[in-house]
Amino acid sequence: MSIISIKEVHKTYNEKTVPVHALRGVDLEIQEGEFTAIVGPSGSGKTTLLNIIGGLDRPSKGDVALADTALKSLSDNDLIDFRKNNIGFIFQAYNLIPVLTAKENVEFVMLLQNRPKEEMEARAKELLQSVGLEDKLNQRPNQLSGGQQQRVAVARALAPKPKFVLADEPTANLDSKSTADLLDIMARLNKEEKITFVFSTHDSRVIERARRVVNMVDGKITTDETFDR
Amino acid sequence: MLLKIAWRNIWRSKLRSLVVIGSIAIGVWSLVFLLSFSRGMIMTYIEKAIENQTSHIQIHNPAFINADETNNEIERSPLNFINDLDEVEKVLEADDNVKAYAKRSYAHQVFLGVAGKTGVANVYGINPEKEKEVTNIHNLIIEGDYFEKKKRNQILISRSQAENYNIGLRKKVILSFTDKNGNPTKVSFRVTGIYDTRNQLQDQFNVYVRQSDLNRELGTIDQSHEVAILVDNVDQVKETASGLEALLGTQLVRAYDKISPEIELFNVQIQLSTFIFTFIFMLGLIFGIINTMLMAVLERMRELGMLMAIGMNKGKVFRMITLETLLLGIISAPIGMLIGWVSVGYFKKVGLDLSNFSKGMQKFGLSEIVYPESSTDMYITFGIAVLITALLGSIYPALKAIRLRPVEAIHKI
Repeated sequence: MSIISIKEVHKTYNEKTVPVHALRGVDLEIQEGEFTAIVGPSGSGKTTLLNIIGGLDRPSKGDVALADTALKSLSDNDLIDFRKNNIGFIFQAYNLIPVLTAKENVEFVMLLQNRPKEEMEARAKELLQSVGLEDKLNQRPNQLSGGQQQRVAVARALAPKPKFVLADEPTANLDSKSTADLLDIMARLNKEEKITFVFSTHDSRVIERARRVVNMVDGKITTDETFDR
Repeated sequence: MLLKIAWRNIWRSKLRSLVVIGSIAIGVWSLVFLLSFSRGMIMTYIEKAIENQTSHIQIHNPAFINADETNNEIERSPLNFINDLDEVEKVLEADDNVKAYAKRSYAHQVFLGVAGKTGVANVYGINPEKEKEVTNIHNLIIEGDYFEKKKRNQILISRSQAENYNIGLRKKVILSFTDKNGNPTKVSFRVTGIYDTRNQLQDQFNVYVRQSDLNRELGTIDQSHEVAILVDNVDQVKETASGLEALLGTQLVRAYDKISPEIELFNVQIQLSTFIFTFIFMLGLIFGIINTMLMAVLERMRELGMLMAIGMNKGKVFRMITLETLLLGIISAPIGMLIGWVSVGYFKKVGLDLSNFSKGMQKFGLSEIVYPESSTDMYITFGIAVLITALLGSIYPALKAIRLRPVEAIHKI
């Protein structure tokens, strides 16, 4: 079942002054449970594509449907609600809320969904346990290492029970050990809980673990390979 | 959770928040003190006016007072004594709120002559013993005595009159009257005491003689122009005056604020200065708040972008910024009020000595020692003003925050 469907998507910045064509007619279908890496050099359009898949940006042309919902039909506020309930985000710079503890950071997104307090607490603990941070529940981001912060970000991304998780260069700021740990966790969650992960990356360590690698150059998909890993 | 985040966000930049909190608190404190000071100054003036001359309520024959269309007294008509004085006294004796009353006769703009110098005076004919129960002139004698000798035609003059006319105790003063039949008459009085109310406006003109002496010259025996009334508690003045007015329909009954129009003016001045100072304070504060909160928003663009990316809607972002600003106000306003309350309380006890400026102030009847006076209304007004200012000050930064595009904001450094 296709959870992400992109058809003939174009994205042009500065249309009226000096147009920059970030995406030039991209078609992409991602199925539920995939572990996909979108790769390419800087300026290839992978972050733009990820932003469009995440409903953070709108295409200049083309159609995007996520979990059978056409994004074109959603207003800005509806799009925020859609993101809240369907998409998990992992950012390169972790982007945790610095004034909240690890547990509160994970709970926060569930709070936006108006989940009951008991459920939020239980799920936050369970998720932090699954990323190996059961002993860091009450630590604030500045008390955690980069790898630990990114694992909290993974737990936060999974908290709202999203249809898929988007990760923009999630390992860019991590050392080898933290990268390996993070990829192990995400691969396990993908295999065991069938969570769909889509990465943008140019980190070879991530590409080696991905089961599908979509290569982009100059705003176009040049190769799309699947691996049995 | 939103409240928790807002609260913790305030303390992310402790120094900045403390500076804002400190400046709001100092602003509130200075407002409380400044307005309590001017209120205290005016209250002291009113109290002194009541204590030394006006008393709480006065009764006159309506024809005695000639007033303009705005009810301001223009002149007094000495031919119009109080009608049915016995009935007035009966009503006053029966009123539980009335603590004491004193009858007075009055001669307006009398020529006063001393050793070749002449001037104008308002002559009050009083019953010294009864007057003691209502006003405080007997305690303000700085030389001589307060009608202690039983001799006829004694007069109390003020210190400023003594200086102006260059006369002292036991000297002769000539008063030129017009009696009730319109005949001019000159009478000699001897200075028995010199008083000083420290209100030059009052002291410049007022002299006191025994009512029996004045009445004799006015050609009457037991009539009075004025009954001055003291009630038990100043809060009962309005109620007592209304009650007396109802019972004494043919008399003119006026409370102190109507007798001395400047009191009404001062009350208006208090309200106006409270409004103006509060407005200026709010105006200054609002820019401080906008600046601080704008910095807080600009510093957190990436975080705000992330919050919107993961599903925090614009309304919640707006509320979070507003809440942070309100919390700053909620912390700082009570601190300022507390410091204000303590400092006003302290100076209310010990007084603020302005004797260096007292000459100028005395000209207008203001005391040289000011006892600041605050009120609950004042604190409520400032509390609300700070919260409204915080709310208004948060609007622009909050709008700035919700206008962020998450896709751009999350990549800001």
